[in-house]
Amino acid sequence: MQASRARLFKEYKEVQREKSADPDIQLICDDSNIFKWTALIKGPSETPFEGGVFQLAFSIPEQYPLLPPQVRFMTKIFHPNVHFKTGEICLDILKNAWSPAWTLQSVCRAIIALMAHPEADSPLNCDSGNLLRSGDIRGYQSMARMYTRLAAMPKKD
Amino acid sequence: MAAAASSSAAASASSSGSGRRNPAATAAGSADAACACPICLEAFKDEAYLDTCLHSFCYKCICQWVKIVASKHEEPLSSVRCPLCKTVNVSIIHAFDGETFQRHYITQDLAKRSVLISLHLLDAHELISQFYNTKDISDNMSSVQQYWKQRKYLRKNMWLETWLRREIQALTQDENVEAIVHHIHGVIESFMKRQEKPHASKKISLENTREEFKSLLSDAARPFLLGRTSRFVAEVELFLVSQMNIDAYSRVRVKRFKESASHLRREQDALPQDQPLEDHYLYFLSDQIDCVGGNGRTQGLPKYLRTRKTSIQRLDSN
Repeated sequence: MQASRARLFKEYKEVQREKSADPDIQLICDDSNIFKWTALIKGPSETPFEGGVFQLAFSIPEQYPLLPPQVRFMTKIFHPNVHFKTGEICLDILKNAWSPAWTLQSVCRAIIALMAHPEADSPLNCDSGNLLRSGDIRGYQSMARMYTRLAAMPKKD
Repeated sequence: MAAAASSSAAASASSSGSGRRNPAATAAGSADAACACPICLEAFKDEAYLDTCLHSFCYKCICQWVKIVASKHEEPLSSVRCPLCKTVNVSIIHAFDGETFQRHYITQDLAKRSVLISLHLLDAHELISQFYNTKDISDNMSSVQQYWKQRKYLRKNMWLETWLRREIQALTQDENVEAIVHHIHGVIESFMKRQEKPHASKKISLENTREEFKSLLSDAARPFLLGRTSRFVAEVELFLVSQMNIDAYSRVRVKRFKESASHLRREQDALPQDQPLEDHYLYFLSDQIDCVGGNGRTQGLPKYLRTRKTSIQRLDSN
């Protein structure tokens, strides 16, 4: 418990110190609970998620960093490895390939990489996975782009 | 939570996806990563190294990680992957104070062996198996002949059994070799006993006695040592001829090893010139002597580690 607090505090300081280091990631710690974090990540360019800003919710276990944080998308996203309703993410490093050398920052980078490189063969979102697996890239991209516009972009009045 | 809802999907994704996604090494790390433990992100407390990749962590942090990994496996662990580079490592080196160090084997909790003893065993053994990998260049045939001629074998070498045990442990890579040692030692003993009887040795020539000894020993050792039998037989003979204790004989042998190693270097020109092999192996020698003397000191990490580090760097630069 104490170790995880200390480590999260280190990460907090690191994030404060290098705020502008990675413009695509903004990590915010909950005001009252260091085990709850929010991240805002920019959709990678040349993907259907470009231009969108996606919110991630981190829930960090007490044994962190020996156990991985639980991360999910709060912003709706059409992606084969993200559950459409719950926002759960299917990513090996958040499960059995976790290493304590990962940080919240580097997990965000991994999720951005996952957005750019979907794994259609292990879908949490079957509709999205099936589009990709059947080779309908255009269909996948237009669906993903539509949801990016609907959910991840500021609404125009 | 959500994770439970689709754990099977997640698991399959993990297996298929792990090949493509980046390992932790690339993404992890902050500006001061070089001087902080990658697990707690603080300055090292009891800095510990993994034995193969030499990445460092706090001893406590890496031990906790090993425990977590072990708890996810049904089988007892024999190795652990480095959290940074995923290299497989079998031990953690820690409590290094410039002179001495301790080694924590991943299997240790299972085997319940003393750390220091296993360390000695392993390093001494490593020397022996390296030694067996080099070509034999014994040139003291005259002393071998004298040994048989003057029947020096009648003087019993009290170190023989201990020496045999360590050789066989190193060659079989197995700690529990009592039965083999007992068998081989028995064969040698009974052969020597027979020679003591005056009528037996008179009739048979010198060369025949030697040959008989060698073939008896080969037959005894072959089932266990296979392809290394003949070399082993030659080594046993040389040890007996030397009439030294283990300590002194090890020193002589390291000298021979140095010679053959430099011989090798001239032949193949494959080994680095600026970092003589000798240093490296002499450290194993010092461990070995400690082992024999039964004194608990461990020396040699500094150079041992440095040698490995430099050799790794050298590989990188090539």
